[in-house]
Amino acid sequence: MSDGIVLRDVTLRRGLMAVVERQSVVVPKGGTLLVTGANGTGKSSLLYLAGGLIAPDSGEVRLGGMLVDPARPGALVVHGVRRGFVFQQGGLVANLSALQNVALPLRYHADRLGLGEAVIEERARFCLGAVGVEGRLVHSLPGRLSFGIAKRVAFARAMAIEPNFAFFDDPDAGLDHENAEVAYDILASFRDDASVTMIVATNHRALIERLGVPVRELVDGRLHRADMAKTPPRSLV
Amino acid sequence: MSPSSPFEPREVAPIQRGFVAGLGREGIETFREWASALRLFMLAMRAAFEPGKAARGTVHRVTLAQIVFTGAEGLPFVTATALVLGATLMLQMRVAAPGLPGEIVGKVLVTLLLRELAPLVTATIVASRSGTAIATEIGNMRASLEVLGLSSMGIDPARYVVLPRLIAVVVSVLVLMIYFGILALLGAAALAAIFGTPDLGSIRTGIADTVGLPDLPLFLVKGAGCGGLVAVICCHYGLQVKSSITEVPLMTGKAVIRAVIGCVLYSFVLTLAFYSVVGTPGFQM
Repeated sequence: MSDGIVLRDVTLRRGLMAVVERQSVVVPKGGTLLVTGANGTGKSSLLYLAGGLIAPDSGEVRLGGMLVDPARPGALVVHGVRRGFVFQQGGLVANLSALQNVALPLRYHADRLGLGEAVIEERARFCLGAVGVEGRLVHSLPGRLSFGIAKRVAFARAMAIEPNFAFFDDPDAGLDHENAEVAYDILASFRDDASVTMIVATNHRALIERLGVPVRELVDGRLHRADMAKTPPRSLV
Repeated sequence: MSPSSPFEPREVAPIQRGFVAGLGREGIETFREWASALRLFMLAMRAAFEPGKAARGTVHRVTLAQIVFTGAEGLPFVTATALVLGATLMLQMRVAAPGLPGEIVGKVLVTLLLRELAPLVTATIVASRSGTAIATEIGNMRASLEVLGLSSMGIDPARYVVLPRLIAVVVSVLVLMIYFGILALLGAAALAAIFGTPDLGSIRTGIADTVGLPDLPLFLVKGAGCGGLVAVICCHYGLQVKSSITEVPLMTGKAVIRAVIGCVLYSFVLTLAFYSVVGTPGFQM
């Protein structure tokens, strides 16, 4: 049994369309997988499925050997599964400031993570600082932040819990060059961290080249190995 | 349900062949929705007993904020409604039955105001004010992936989103209902005092003769039940929003209508049960 991410014979349907059709994927512990595919093929849904946010129609998903039940997200944390998730857009709690957003998972799981209030505040500020969100911005609500800064806050939140499973949905979409570089550095650090198992969904050639890890292309519900040297996916930009 | 505009992304409802088939489909759909809302209630109840001291602390803070919004900030609306409704009821009794003895007026005030209108009107005020806010907020949270975001952090939405609102609405409806009952009686008494009849002393006697110990459980079960219905139904419809914010107002409207209908039916069933079990205290049949 792999300690990484295991999707066994999973099928996920949206109406009549099969987003994923009887697919099996294993990302070993510490490994990174890049998923690419044309717009609307279901990369985000696949990521939610792999991250245990939605249940498959059939098959099973395991994180760290633990069978995922999306109805009981807290159970994963009890068993040591800490997920960092960056959504394509949104995902931040609208009525909490940037700082409170980053601190939220730490506060909620403070007893399990063994964190005191002072450490939580310090770590949240450190993670925000690492993505360049400082000063008055840390007290701003997500609705008052620009898209790029909100995305950086999402990165900070994903980092704060020191995840052993990380999921990034189009992490550099909508970011300018400077912000995209910050995102690439964070992704590269997760890739190099042997304790982090990661899946990244993207169509950006620059990110794929920067990470240099195996790529699968999602086409008609099936994941195909993509040979970047010979036949790179046509969906790449 | 048909889309309200041809430009919105919702699927067009299937053509209903015949009245009976349409009625059957509506019935099945309604049953499914109630079953789904009941499941949400069970998830929230289970979440209440999940371990995690820190999580409990976080949920307490959210619950307190919700109680302040639903209960404390709802006071002015309940105050105005209760006083005016009590006075209106007294006025109507004077018009419909001039010279009605104060004892009878007191009994009518207990049966109508305390046993029926206090829980129902309070629940309706809470549904129209906090219920809409709950359904809208959760609907927007769904559309902006906040709910998925919470799950991704290992935070159970049933515990962090639904449970605090459920507790807050139940507590608020219970407290506001008692407050409503007292103020409505005061409103009625004030009008009687202004007109000079019926005599306040005889009204008080009628109230005291009618109110009994069995009223307390009826009052509490009605209040808690109506509060629970409003909270769960509004949370349920908020969570029915899939990905588009255009679904939010639609679901909010559904939520409030269903919540109010649910409260009326629930109140009626409880009243029937009350009189069949307890008899008719205070009345000579």
